[in-house]
Amino acid sequence: MRWTKIGKIFDPTEHRLPNNCVQFAQSPQALVFADFVRIYFSTREVDRSNGKYLSHVAFIDVQKDFSRIIRVSERTVIELGKLGCFDEHGIFPMNIVRSESRIYGYTCGWSRRVSVSVETAIGLAISEDDGLTFQRIGDGPVLGASLHEPFLVGDPFVRIQGDLWQMWYIFGTSWERLIPGQPPDRVYKIGYASSRDGIAWQTGEGRQIISDRLKTDESQALPTVIKIGDRWHMYFCYRESSDFRKNPDRGYRLGYAYSDDAKDWTRDDGRAGIDRSLQGWDSEMLCYPHVFACDAQVYMLYNGNEFGRHGFGLAILE
Amino acid sequence: MFTWRKLGRVFDPRDVKGRPWLREFAQAPATLIFDDHVRVYFSTRPPPNPDGQYVSYSGFVDLNRNDLFDILRVSERPILELGGLGTFDEFGIYPVSVARSGGEVVAYYGGWTRCESVPFNVAIGCAVSRDGGETFERRGPGPVLGYSPDEPFVLSGPKVRRYGDRWRLWYIAGRKWKVVNGRPEPVYKIRMASSEDGVRWERSHRDLIQSRLEADEAQASPDVFAHGGRYHMFFCYRYSAGFRSKERGYRIGYASSEDLERWARDDSKAGIDVSDEGWDSEMISYPHVFELDGQIYLLYLGNGVGREGFGLAVLEGTLR
Repeated sequence: MRWTKIGKIFDPTEHRLPNNCVQFAQSPQALVFADFVRIYFSTREVDRSNGKYLSHVAFIDVQKDFSRIIRVSERTVIELGKLGCFDEHGIFPMNIVRSESRIYGYTCGWSRRVSVSVETAIGLAISEDDGLTFQRIGDGPVLGASLHEPFLVGDPFVRIQGDLWQMWYIFGTSWERLIPGQPPDRVYKIGYASSRDGIAWQTGEGRQIISDRLKTDESQALPTVIKIGDRWHMYFCYRESSDFRKNPDRGYRLGYAYSDDAKDWTRDDGRAGIDRSLQGWDSEMLCYPHVFACDAQVYMLYNGNEFGRHGFGLAILE
Repeated sequence: MFTWRKLGRVFDPRDVKGRPWLREFAQAPATLIFDDHVRVYFSTRPPPNPDGQYVSYSGFVDLNRNDLFDILRVSERPILELGGLGTFDEFGIYPVSVARSGGEVVAYYGGWTRCESVPFNVAIGCAVSRDGGETFERRGPGPVLGYSPDEPFVLSGPKVRRYGDRWRLWYIAGRKWKVVNGRPEPVYKIRMASSEDGVRWERSHRDLIQSRLEADEAQASPDVFAHGGRYHMFFCYRYSAGFRSKERGYRIGYASSEDLERWARDDSKAGIDVSDEGWDSEMISYPHVFELDGQIYLLYLGNGVGREGFGLAVLEGTLR
């Protein structure tokens, strides 16, 4: 695979965003329309009660040549969850899937914990207005912690093929105090689930589908899958599970795997065809990839340094 | 109306010495009957931490089958350690309900975690004993019944039964967190799921018991007992606010069903209420009905939701 970077296409600090959001445009996700592309992302508001963040979903509409932003969402795309619900403190990311007249938003909802910082689970919301707003199907998640996937279920990427709904996502395998005196760090892996209705999901019950590359405690996040010809391609990001925020040697970069049956995957990061830049906004970290097709081209949206604090960029598959 | 004759308090956890995990509370009694004794599982607490927060452990007492007020043994250890860092049952295992399956005893329990915006969340775990119910091992580190679109939080109070070749689980599901005087209080309703193997559960997705006090009535401890060709459910219920008082605290309700699906509530038949004075004068809750040697008994909690232990009543007449 060979990608040519077009560069950063959106900087959140240059626009006015809803919900008092000022920085971060994380985990961009595309929805292609006839004459423009809508790109959803998660951005952050500071929670005035304690200084922590709340993640909200927003979008931009861009011209199909990605040269010009023609709209920035003015209103709330999806409300955060109610008191005590799984998505009370943030939605990050929201994966968008079109099916006939409906647009589905699979959310990764965040809620804060006491002994560890956070728990996540996957929710479902539906849009009846071409993706301007989404209403959740219920207050709880469609996929959360279960017997062999005990916490941190999130990062959904859903694909609908006839009556088969496929989901690649992540689940937590451990919370550990990896660095003495620091808060617990988490480890998570990529899994696969399937469904006939998009609501009831059968998971792999803790089966990790992408092998580790790092020697210890590799965390894998945000799988994105595209089928080109007969071959399935997956991009994701991975990192060390501790000291990954500020140490560029341990932070996120992109991984790659391929499959001929969408079940058994061969990891081969050497073929990813995209890496950090030598300098600039994506020189230290590369994360949260989203691969999509638009008018016979394949594109990748991605974040750079600081988990997308400074916006997202675009690359095109040669 | 049924008539329950109170026999008195069976077990006061404050009388037990030498078990640091067992100081106060003996909540949610659930029985497992042996040839010569009746094991009663309950949930208890060590003293709270400096912030006033508790953890819950579950253990058991063995009662002499011929004299249920004769305590033969108190479990030396909790039946299950608390869950690991970040898991759903890190801060409590409460309550517990058990059923025999072949040579195993299978336990379902509420696992407690602590949250930031609300005080806690609960999901239902499963653990198996291969030593006759002395110690249990988790089926997995996560919950066997977790949150879903219409059951978003506080899945607790499991009561497991086996009727024919189906496993049945009655439990409570949180509906909303209601802020009362600045404090979030959970509202929950009684629900049911069934299973072929005790691991994969199909939920019925509806509230089984109509609310009586108010729309936000909280319902708990759905204890189902098959007798006389019908199913009888004793449960407890309370107001959504001010329920730590005598007037608005837990009382025992009753419903019956022919088919396990449709339940007719008639609290006037419950036949047991708070006493005029003593350990169960303010509150009565967490009923558990069992049959032993031709008698039908009811275990229940008194004041402070079991802080001072549980008591026993016997049915006079029949359950119809």
